[in-house]
Amino acid sequence: MDADPRQYENIGLNENDIHKIVKSYLVHNCFKDTLESFIACTGEMQPTDHLEDMEKRKRIYYFALDGNASKAIELTEEFAPGLLEENKDLHFDLLSLHFVELVCSRKIDEALGFAQSKFTPFGKEQKYVEKLEMLSMQDFMALLAYEEPEKSPMFHLLSSEHRQHVADSLNRAILAHTKLPSYSVMERLIQQTTVVRQCLSQESGKDGHQPFSLKDFLKS
Amino acid sequence: MGGVEDDEPPSKRVKVSSGESGGLSNGISVRDQGSCSISDSMARLLASQEDDEVVGSRGVIKKVELVRIIAEALYSLGYSKTGARLEEESGIPLHSSLVDLFVQQILDGQWDESVTTLHEIDLTDESITKLASFVILEQKFFELLDGGKLMDALKTLRTEIAPLCVNGDRVRELSYVIVSPSQNLLERTSGQESRLKSLKKLLEELQKLLPPTVIIPENRLVHLVEQALDLQRDACRFHNSSVAEMSLLTDHQCGRDRIPCQTLQGYSGLDRPSFQILQEHSDEVWFLQFSHNGKYLASSSGDCLVIIWEVKVNGQVSVRHRLSGHQKPVSYISWSPDDHQLLTCGMEETIRRWDITSGECLQVYEKTGLGFVSCGWAADGKSIFSGVTDKSISMWDLEGKELECWKGQRTVRIADLGITTDGKELITVCKENTILLFNWETKSEKFIEENQNITSFALSEDRKFLLVSLWNEELHLWNIDDCPKLVAKYKGHKRSRYVVRSCFGGLEQSFIASGSEDSQVYIWHRLSGELVLTLAGHTGAVNCVSWNPANPHMLASASDDRTIRIWGLNRLNDDSREMLRRGRRCNIYYCVFASVFFNPLNIFQNQIKFITPITEGTRSTKRIPLVCICFTCYNSTQ
Repeated sequence: MDADPRQYENIGLNENDIHKIVKSYLVHNCFKDTLESFIACTGEMQPTDHLEDMEKRKRIYYFALDGNASKAIELTEEFAPGLLEENKDLHFDLLSLHFVELVCSRKIDEALGFAQSKFTPFGKEQKYVEKLEMLSMQDFMALLAYEEPEKSPMFHLLSSEHRQHVADSLNRAILAHTKLPSYSVMERLIQQTTVVRQCLSQESGKDGHQPFSLKDFLKS
Repeated sequence: MGGVEDDEPPSKRVKVSSGESGGLSNGISVRDQGSCSISDSMARLLASQEDDEVVGSRGVIKKVELVRIIAEALYSLGYSKTGARLEEESGIPLHSSLVDLFVQQILDGQWDESVTTLHEIDLTDESITKLASFVILEQKFFELLDGGKLMDALKTLRTEIAPLCVNGDRVRELSYVIVSPSQNLLERTSGQESRLKSLKKLLEELQKLLPPTVIIPENRLVHLVEQALDLQRDACRFHNSSVAEMSLLTDHQCGRDRIPCQTLQGYSGLDRPSFQILQEHSDEVWFLQFSHNGKYLASSSGDCLVIIWEVKVNGQVSVRHRLSGHQKPVSYISWSPDDHQLLTCGMEETIRRWDITSGECLQVYEKTGLGFVSCGWAADGKSIFSGVTDKSISMWDLEGKELECWKGQRTVRIADLGITTDGKELITVCKENTILLFNWETKSEKFIEENQNITSFALSEDRKFLLVSLWNEELHLWNIDDCPKLVAKYKGHKRSRYVVRSCFGGLEQSFIASGSEDSQVYIWHRLSGELVLTLAGHTGAVNCVSWNPANPHMLASASDDRTIRIWGLNRLNDDSREMLRRGRRCNIYYCVFASVFFNPLNIFQNQIKFITPITEGTRSTKRIPLVCICFTCYNSTQ
């Protein structure tokens, strides 16, 4: 049951609101240059340290995305000290990223040493060791066993999706740490629309209405 | 073959349990590599020719296999010289030389060599080779770790174990072990004896993995013999004593003298024999049941009386209490799980709870306007269940308060109520041909549907089996563990007008007994379904039977002739045994006669006692000078 598009015309929008939405998206994803031009165009002011922080965050994010976890950790410690102690899961994810990098570059001895030194504190907690809720140490250590990790059963640990996921979590954690919203408004709006539409179609559409598809909606 | 042996000394056989290897004793022999003699190759040649030879009248036993398992048995028993001699003389080696080499390499800890040998052994299935290699290499891995050679262990893991592509989960665990060696140490202790233990375990695992043609499973012959004994015991129709030590020398067969077949003789203090025909009731006896500990028997009768009998150690049964109070005949009795209390259910009347020690009525359960049809104790003895005339089931606490009531078509007017071991399921007859298994907590229902009307049922002691009596004179045995399944049927007894009850009994409940309207007690062997015995003696329909749970040789039956009979073993008394010893080859039987008109008596004639076997009614008459007319039977073999 799609709403009649003509009904949309009845809803008024405030320009400032739209600006806010766009800005939050840009800030969240560290598009510094774009943000600067946008601000210039719309004529609003932002505090300057905001931009610096964004730059730093951007660098951390991209290091994590590339798999250069050690650099990411270093900078995070600098920028948001204490963040990783609070977020043990995140810390574990980052360390495992580094470990994966070592394994991929076939530096087995280093990887082993790294694992033994860095992972021991995590080894005490069962949830990190066994496959319970998250990727566990056992999964990562298993990469050691294979000469060609890309062909092992654990190959998904090397994928870019995984790195993306870790980088995103890191980003959100840093934002939360600096008292900024960890989700951009744009994201939330889209998520909310999807959920609402799905609920509506479930309630009314027992007779075969298709579930809401964001893609199709964007195309229309 | 003999000539060859004279020339060569028997090749040395090193049995594993010698001192050097420190006490491993499984049946694998090892031949000293060096002295592979001509007789070996001759033997192997001969062996291959004999591959198809069979042994035994049926032609199903292959000679090669038989000799091999005998050899394995000899080694297991510790007779390695004999085992070696057998291998030599028969020309059939226990294991091929490759296998012997393999085992020796394992014992010496030469892992890589053993893996190579493993590949040489022709195992048709490649995955077995891989699994076996995995197990061996795992041992190598742990040994390296124990020796502190971390990188070597990792190398083994990466280059040898992982490429096998089996046991992925175990590979994961192994790599984790490298990272945290402390955990590894906790699980495994080092030291000489644990090394031997792990070697033994390794060999056992390999034995299980490799096909039995390559390595004979340990103790195979013993296992086969045990199987045979099990089969003999199952086939034994009259197996009712735990005494039997089964011998390998003869087939096991119990005589039917181990089943109660004889109305027991008890002795009063004056050495005057009195029969265990209990005549306290003044009307038809409808129901009886032994307590769980077999020390008491409760019976109910058309005279509205319930009698508690005590079963003494010598088998004598005597009255303990007379419980009066019911206005209607009691149709069902239920012993509490601890045997201290009794529930009696009057026919569509009240339920009463009695204390056994004092004989007092502790509680009367009533429901206004309705009557009860059945009763039963909860498994914990703290509450009771009852079937009601309005087809519902109620649950009560001990003080008489109704706790719950399940309405609907739960029970018809059939007095049986059963409760499963976990206490969660109630068993009632909910429709004329359907039994309901009702889980009163989850309200889930399971049904057993019969194609005939059901008259009564009985639960086995382990509550896993249900014996259902049907209108058409059949007993159906159902397995109610999980999904109900029909397991067996028993026929032969007579039932046309009344409710005739049946029960489980005997050692491990391997028998089924039932009353019958032809005044006999019928006993079937449970596993085979065969009718093994009918007990005659009553003069009216036998309504109910109960087998003493604590004494597999005691059975009680209740009859319309107002009596209860206690049945026991057919005993040859000492005198007759003596006569047998004197060489008189005759079977002497006890004589029991019950005639309609005369009281039962026993005849003593000097030292001879006459016994009849109570079986299919073969009788002959013989006149004996006495006061009463009676039937006797004297059987003798010359």
